[in-house]
Amino acid sequence: MEQPATAPPQVGALVGSEPYSRRRVDFLPFLLILPTVIVLLAIQVYPAFYTVVLSFKERKPAGWEFVGLRNFQKLLNSSAFWESAGHTIIFLVGFVGLTLILGFFIALLLNRKTKLSGLYITVLFIPWILADIIVGVVFRLLVLPDYGLFSAFLQSPSFLAPNGLSVLTTDALPPWFGNFPFPPSPALVYLILASSWRALPFVTLLLLAALQTISTEVLESSRIDGANTLQTITHITIPLILPTMVVALFSLTLSGMNGVGMVFSLTRGGPGTSTEVLSYLLYSIGWVRLDFGRAAALAMIIAAVNLLLISSTLRVTRTQKAGA
Amino acid sequence: MTDLSQTPPLEQSYMPSRKLIDSLLTNAALIIICIVAMIPVATTVLISFKREEDVTRKPPVIFPCDTATSSFDITACRWSIEGYERVILPTRSAESAFGIVLRGRMLNTYLPNTIIYATSTALFVVLLASMAGYAFSRYRFPGRDALMIAILAITGIPLLTNLLALYQMGITVRKLPLPVYSDRFFIVTVYIGFFLPLSVWIAKGFFDAIPLELEEAAKIDGCSPIGALTRIIMPLAIPGMMAVFLLTFVSVWNEFIAGYLLISKNELKPVMFGMYDFLGQNIINAQLIAAACVIIALPMVLVFLVSRRSFFQAMVEGAIKG
Repeated sequence: MEQPATAPPQVGALVGSEPYSRRRVDFLPFLLILPTVIVLLAIQVYPAFYTVVLSFKERKPAGWEFVGLRNFQKLLNSSAFWESAGHTIIFLVGFVGLTLILGFFIALLLNRKTKLSGLYITVLFIPWILADIIVGVVFRLLVLPDYGLFSAFLQSPSFLAPNGLSVLTTDALPPWFGNFPFPPSPALVYLILASSWRALPFVTLLLLAALQTISTEVLESSRIDGANTLQTITHITIPLILPTMVVALFSLTLSGMNGVGMVFSLTRGGPGTSTEVLSYLLYSIGWVRLDFGRAAALAMIIAAVNLLLISSTLRVTRTQKAGA
Repeated sequence: MTDLSQTPPLEQSYMPSRKLIDSLLTNAALIIICIVAMIPVATTVLISFKREEDVTRKPPVIFPCDTATSSFDITACRWSIEGYERVILPTRSAESAFGIVLRGRMLNTYLPNTIIYATSTALFVVLLASMAGYAFSRYRFPGRDALMIAILAITGIPLLTNLLALYQMGITVRKLPLPVYSDRFFIVTVYIGFFLPLSVWIAKGFFDAIPLELEEAAKIDGCSPIGALTRIIMPLAIPGMMAVFLLTFVSVWNEFIAGYLLISKNELKPVMFGMYDFLGQNIINAQLIAAACVIIALPMVLVFLVSRRSFFQAMVEGAIKG
């Protein structure tokens, strides 16, 4: 509906005719792309560079002052940063691991096409459509101190909270972690559960799409050769969908790093600072303590990790395409 | 499960075949998984229809249907819509056409804001993404590949780390002597910029799937270039554009942190901020919180159920590229 006025294509420049270099340059494609480029420069590229500049500055009463690397120095010397980096690592390992394993399991089940597959996929997908804020609230309602339906179960001394308090308020550690170097709080474990619940559909669909590309002949020939189901999965299925699993792993890590809504609605970083992950720390340094310079330094660190993850994903997808 | 157990005709086999057992077990496992996955949603819907005295019971009850004599009596259920009423706050009014006015901020402030932001963002994203996607799909021009890689790279910039700079930009823009300015323009622009890159790639994918021969055939048959675009390409592109629209709409609807931090006035903030704010004000009234959750999430769930094909298509398209 929106297009006709802006996009009258000119016959000569379309794909399939002679290459563009031999003709006059057609301005139409540039005109079509120009608005996108302008918006992206203003909203994505400029702010990204501005954040770099901001990370070397500090707000003084007189105005912004260049302070060199002091923001990074202060950040890296603070215990809050290392503590929340620890929380983030535990969160990511738990969240990515749990989601991938469950997602793979459910995708395997869905791949055995049953008559009701469509219905199952639709039902299982509902969490994905819910906002992270809503999911946080829903999971909070389940464990409200005293009144939550699952409070009693999760509060039981042998499970998550040894002192019998709600996972939202206790700072005692789950007994089964023993001498784990950075023991997570019950609330962090619960945050992992809630996040996995929401991310599960995405991973399941991604892995299911990969499973469906495996030809039945390969699986059948392995069965004829005498492999049982487990052997088929470990020796045929997993190696074949490994590239997709790696892509899922990286995109889960990215969304886990950058997602912050669930922390807001489920725990607000508490109890204490036990669920303060790096993304929440960015908010708390920037908008609670109003130290934009230091927050920008933290943003740079988060962005660097993002960049690393994305370039690794691209490398995997490229080798996947080259191998196919 | 029950209907499946009836399927094998007895005379065909005395022992159920391996295939049938397999299918039964798979179905059973999937049904259990679906039920477990729906527990949080079902609980929230149940809570939203409870009364305050049933929400604050120790120990908590699943169904508010117990009486003094029995633990579950379907005739004695105390369902109520108190939670919804207190979120919406309907009051009688003679002036209104419906006889009542709704005073709850969720419904008369935050929800309309979100509808404005989500609709306008999605419309602009569809327009810009289809223009750029069409150009990338149908034309070869100098710098094309570099631009496409650049747009893909931009999808890697997280909104979170850009927020600090965008916040400072917002402060600067507010001070400029612009004839018309409101935080609404700013937040919609931010959303467009954030959801556009992936949409461009999705749109390009959809245009790539429309065979070029169709366009050429139309031209040979005497159709003008604009005619070919409006009569041949646009109708075929509509499902793809619909997918981009829906994906963007839902993403903006569900977005929290930018709407919370980049908009200064509370009355311009979106519904997810409303939910966050509401949570802080009603710590004990679980039925209110649950009702608010249902009111906010239900439209998106319905949109998803009606158009799930579009979603899956756009999602797979986006996941492969991004």
